[in-house]
Formats: sequence, C-alpha cells, structure tokens
Amino acid sequence: MKTNKFLEYFLLLARIVLGFIFVYAGADKISNPESFSQAIQNYRLLPTEIINFFAITLPWLELTSGLLLIFGIKVRENSLILTSMLFVFTLAVAISMIRGLNFNCGCFGKPSPIGWQKLGENFLMLVLGFVLIVYNSTLLNFSDEKKSD
Amino acid sequence: MKISYKNIFLIIGFAFSIGLIYNYLNPKGIPLVKEKKELVFESDSVLISLTEQIEKVSADSVNQKTANDNSSGNKSEKIIDDKKQAETKIEAFSEPRAIKIDLAYKLFKQGVKFIDARMPNEYEAGHIKGAYNIPFDGDERYRDILNNFSKDEIIVVYCGGTDCDLSIYLGNEIFEKGFKRVYVFFGGWNEWLENNYPTSKN
Repeated sequence: MKTNKFLEYFLLLARIVLGFIFVYAGADKISNPESFSQAIQNYRLLPTEIINFFAITLPWLELTSGLLLIFGIKVRENSLILTSMLFVFTLAVAISMIRGLNFNCGCFGKPSPIGWQKLGENFLMLVLGFVLIVYNSTLLNFSDEKKSD
Repeated sequence: MKISYKNIFLIIGFAFSIGLIYNYLNPKGIPLVKEKKELVFESDSVLISLTEQIEKVSADSVNQKTANDNSSGNKSEKIIDDKKQAETKIEAFSEPRAIKIDLAYKLFKQGVKFIDARMPNEYEAGHIKGAYNIPFDGDERYRDILNNFSKDEIIVVYCGGTDCDLSIYLGNEIFEKGFKRVYVFFGGWNEWLENNYPTSKN
C-alpha cells in the first residue's frame, strides 16, 4: 500500500490520539472499579453475574492496547481490538438511547450523559481506528515490524 | 493487510490476566461475581411502630418550628438542639430500606418528603403530589434541595417503577450523604398511578 509523508503523519497523530483516549479511559476505570461495574449495570444489557468480570478486565485491555498503539507496536492488531470495543460500546449507547434510558455513559472523565454527542465522538474514534487498521502506521514505532505490506 | 489473530489473543490474554491479578491484589478490588443487591423490605411489625414514631417526630418538629418562629435569634443553637434531640429518638438505618405501596402511602399521608429520581421531563409530566425532583443522572444542582432537609427526616425516594433502579442509586447516595432514614419506594410512579393516589403536574 502506497503511503505518502502526509498520510504517515496523520496516521501517527491518529495513533496517538486514539491511544491516549483509551489509556486515559482505562486508567480512569482501573482507579475505580466499583463505579465502572455500576456503569455497566446501568446499561442493563449483561447479566449481573458477569458484569464484574468485564469491569475488572476491560479497562486493562483499553490501557494495554492504548499504550501499545501509542508506541506503534502491533498497530493493526491493537486498532482492531480498540475498534471492536468501541463498536460494542457504541452499540450499547445506541441501544440504551432507543430504550429511552438516561444515565451517565461511564466512558471516562467527568460524567456525561449518553446521547447523540457520545455517538458522534465514538463514530469519529471508530473512523480513526478503521483508518489505522487499513493503513497501519510505521512512523516512530518501537517495534521491529518492517514497512512492508 | 496482515493481521495476526494470535497476537490479538496474546494481547487480550495479557490484559485480562493483569486485570484479574491487579483486582485480586487491590484493596479496592471488587468481587469477581457481582452480588445481586437484594432489597430489604421493611417488615410489617416495624411498620406500625414506625408510623407511631413519625407522628411523634412530626408533632415535635412542629412544636420546634413554632418555637423557632417566636425567637428568630439563636437559630444555630436551636438547630443543634434539634439535632441532639432527634438523635436520641431516631434509630439510624444501616442502609436504605425498601418499602411497598402501603407503607409509602402511609408515609405520604404523614407528610414525609418524597423525592422523584427520574429526569425532569418525566417529573413534569406527573409526579407524586408534593414530591421534589432530583434526577439521579441530571444536573448536580438539583441536589441542592437536600441542603434544606434535615438529616433526621424520613425521605422516600422513588422512580418509574419496579424496572427502574434510579431510586435505589439515589437512595444509596442520599444515605451516604448522611440522611439517616431513607426509604426506597420500590413500586414507584407506576404503582402510585395504578392506585389513584394524589399526583400533581408542573
């Protein structure tokens, strides 16, 4: 795949932005597992028994993949992981909107209600993720991956 | 486009393991299987003694109010007195208690304060007569109403009905803020409507 300098820099930026958002989101949830567990429960999509498993593990996946993405290690794989998570989260938000539920999304930072704005933000991040999956990003990466394929 | 699924599984496996280990070691860690929070319903025997107690307390507070009106000065001292008296009388809950429609209506007739945990538009469309609105997911400023309440007062929180959890969350929150006697009216708005109990709109 032909990549020019401009695209390379854009991909690097996308990597850093997406990676940073997830590192932040992950760290935020890790510091307060109880509230993330509550946030998942608010969506009323998962049975109570398995909520905590995801509340414990998902933030670490966000953190790990986000960090690896920033450092350019296994960019495609990590983008795919993050994009899949984003897709599920976005779906959950959309379903809750259709069901007319109204609560804080439990995404990160200060409480923000679910709604169109959240969907928009998630959509933009999804686009970044897809671009990274398709084009990969090799600028400033800390792995020994070749600039091939 | 080459994507190594092996790497994906490795990354996920790594992250999940770290997460589980961290949670195990973390003093703030949460149980792996979430406990279902079961509502403790107020028993009927408590119900009778409770209504008596309310009558006493509300009568007292009326007396104190009139006393306050007579001497508008020394207000802060009065408030402290209020608190001291109330503490000796009122047994604090260890957690918010759930109540059903019968007790909720009894409390309503006693003039106990009701709080509607739903969103403002739902509240405006109709609510229990005299209820205050504190949307659990809404603007923080709604919570300022609580400053006007005494911590010893009985507060009943409700929301849409049995399929809504807002009243439980708000009940817990209010309880943690120091309100000693918080009830969650589990049947909520739907049950109130079904029974044709007093409502209002605004």
